[in-house]
Amino acid sequence: MLEYLWLVPALPLAGFFALFVTEGKLPDKIVAVIGAGSVGLAALVALGAGMEFVQSGEASYAQSLWTWMAVGNFTPSITLYLDPLSLVMSGVITGVGFLIHLFATGYMWKDHQEPEGYSRFFAYMNLFVFAMLMLVLGDNLLVLFLGWEGVGLCSYLLIGFYHRDPENGYAARKAFVVTRVGDTLMAIGLFLLFRELGSLDIQTALGDAGQLDAGMATAIGLLLLGGAVGKSAQVPLQTWLPDAMAGPTPVSALIHAATMVTAGVYLIARMKGIYDLAPVAQLAVAIVGLVTLLISSFTALTQTDIKRILAYSTMSQIGYMFMALGVGAWSAGIFHLMTHAFFKALLFLASGSVILALHHEQDIFKMGGLWRKLPVPFASMLIGSIALVAVPLTSGFYSKDAILLTAWEHGTGPWFWAGGVLAAFMTALYTTRMMVVAFLGETKTEPHDASRINMWGPLVVLAVLSIGGGWMTFSVLDDLLGAIDHIPHIHPAALVTVVLPLLGIVLGYFVFSGRMNVNSLVESSFGDALRRFWQSGWAFDWVYYRVFVKPFLWVARVNKGDVVDLAFRITAAVTRGFHHVGALTQTGRLRWYAANMAIGLIVVLLIVASV
Amino acid sequence: MAIEVPVEHVLLVAAGLFLLGLLGVLVRRNIIFLLMSLEVMMNSAGLAFIAAGAKWGAPDGQIMFMLILALAAAEVAVALGLVLQISRRFDTLDVDAASELNG
Repeated sequence: MLEYLWLVPALPLAGFFALFVTEGKLPDKIVAVIGAGSVGLAALVALGAGMEFVQSGEASYAQSLWTWMAVGNFTPSITLYLDPLSLVMSGVITGVGFLIHLFATGYMWKDHQEPEGYSRFFAYMNLFVFAMLMLVLGDNLLVLFLGWEGVGLCSYLLIGFYHRDPENGYAARKAFVVTRVGDTLMAIGLFLLFRELGSLDIQTALGDAGQLDAGMATAIGLLLLGGAVGKSAQVPLQTWLPDAMAGPTPVSALIHAATMVTAGVYLIARMKGIYDLAPVAQLAVAIVGLVTLLISSFTALTQTDIKRILAYSTMSQIGYMFMALGVGAWSAGIFHLMTHAFFKALLFLASGSVILALHHEQDIFKMGGLWRKLPVPFASMLIGSIALVAVPLTSGFYSKDAILLTAWEHGTGPWFWAGGVLAAFMTALYTTRMMVVAFLGETKTEPHDASRINMWGPLVVLAVLSIGGGWMTFSVLDDLLGAIDHIPHIHPAALVTVVLPLLGIVLGYFVFSGRMNVNSLVESSFGDALRRFWQSGWAFDWVYYRVFVKPFLWVARVNKGDVVDLAFRITAAVTRGFHHVGALTQTGRLRWYAANMAIGLIVVLLIVASV
Repeated sequence: MAIEVPVEHVLLVAAGLFLLGLLGVLVRRNIIFLLMSLEVMMNSAGLAFIAAGAKWGAPDGQIMFMLILALAAAEVAVALGLVLQISRRFDTLDVDAASELNG
């Protein structure tokens, strides 16, 4: 199977082309088969190739397809590179991706906003899976960058999928522009890497990384971190992710939770060789992760839109991954990436079921009492939530625990651990709030469940993975990124790590089911101001609007006539002036022309004679 | 016995004819006179060729003169057509009347 590795990205690409060239003329049922089937087949091939790869015991497998271009010494090749890291990533992308595609065949069926968009939706989704696979399988940073921009494009197209509402177009543009800031930093990082090492081939570059001096390694590490921060929605480029929820819910599940936003984590893990040389850059990774983690988990506590709660929760979980990479828990970070893909995809898909059953109602305060009416989505949400909160024995517990315990031992002291545990407590609080408000209490909107097996089937599979995904020993990455460090669970730090989220659940239950009255605290002026501050996402959008958007609009308004164009306008005016002068000699009189010719001839003769 | 004419004299006559012709082209407004002046200029050039051919005893001068004759015939054929058109359209033979192609 290993020699068929090229089929893994090729199948979704073929699916994209099939849907793209038929321009939506295919019947919806065939579209569903092509859209979900291509990714499903890719998942099977990836599974087969992965099993053969693990059995072979090799450290890596490279399949060279062709040379992209040859310019002097610069000859990037299209090579698929399979190692444990890219194996885990492509497994998540195709496996979880297939389940989400399957769910989407039901979710997008006869969609009330875009009934014509069924084929377009799956074309974009397949293109996204292709680009994401090129990102993780590419053996060359240029191929990685191709995939990186490809997923950005698909993200843009899918956020703006409901394009009739200008708000969604705005959200799509915002995501595109904000991530572009990070991409620019990343491109500069790649240029520097190429200048210093003369190759963008990942393995060659990492092998030669020892030649970099410390300052250059730090600069490259920080620039690549900039790219990762943009793509993975970390502070300070996180503002696009909550707005990206304007896209259909399966898009939020696949792109803005399970796969694309974790590309930054993948990039940093892939460039481990650089960060090993640049401890400052690695510390920056950890700090970015911690700050994002705290900011977004407090913000999630005050949101009312179920998808925005999950979006902020995604940001905070990716913050955990960044923190893990930063404190040196490389394998644990990727492990958390995988388990997070399971339970966050589950949460998003289940919330999608709820939203669909409530005719696109997303406000949790208008839901209430749904647990009896929507048992499958409720059970799925519950399982996803306990995995998110990291209740012991769920998948999220194993990965988060491994991260926090490595953070405990970090050289700078227990600060990262303390922040992570506080955020874990907040995670428990906001998750409990979401569950209690949306599913318990009185029914406020009557649900209308019309989901079939293609919708609840993926939920069941993902629920099983969310629970059991952490039981297997996650050792494939040991050789590449180092083994996961397990500390015996009688350590005091380990106990706090386990118990605090449980306390959060209990507290959350009592507060949000109304059994404990905290109104005096919430309604005080300080409490209200704090709530509004958190709800706005710590005012990042407010600040960015004033610092970047407004001055830019002002400059655009002042510069309506375009200063740069002035040079061209002057050139045109001068040319036109000469034209008028020249036109004066064009009298149309034959004798005038003859006289000019005679005079010219005499002048020429005089010149010739005088030489 | 042939009379020897110095070549300079012939060239002087040719130059005089050429200037006369040029003057005619520049000052006359009647298009018929314009064409006649052109003929004079061409003949002056032909005369210069003949003189040069006789001086060096080469046949090229005469060949060139015949070329000029053919050229003049062709030119007259075209030019008379133009004269007809101008007299029909502008009802005059004044060449300055046909100055519509100005800038």
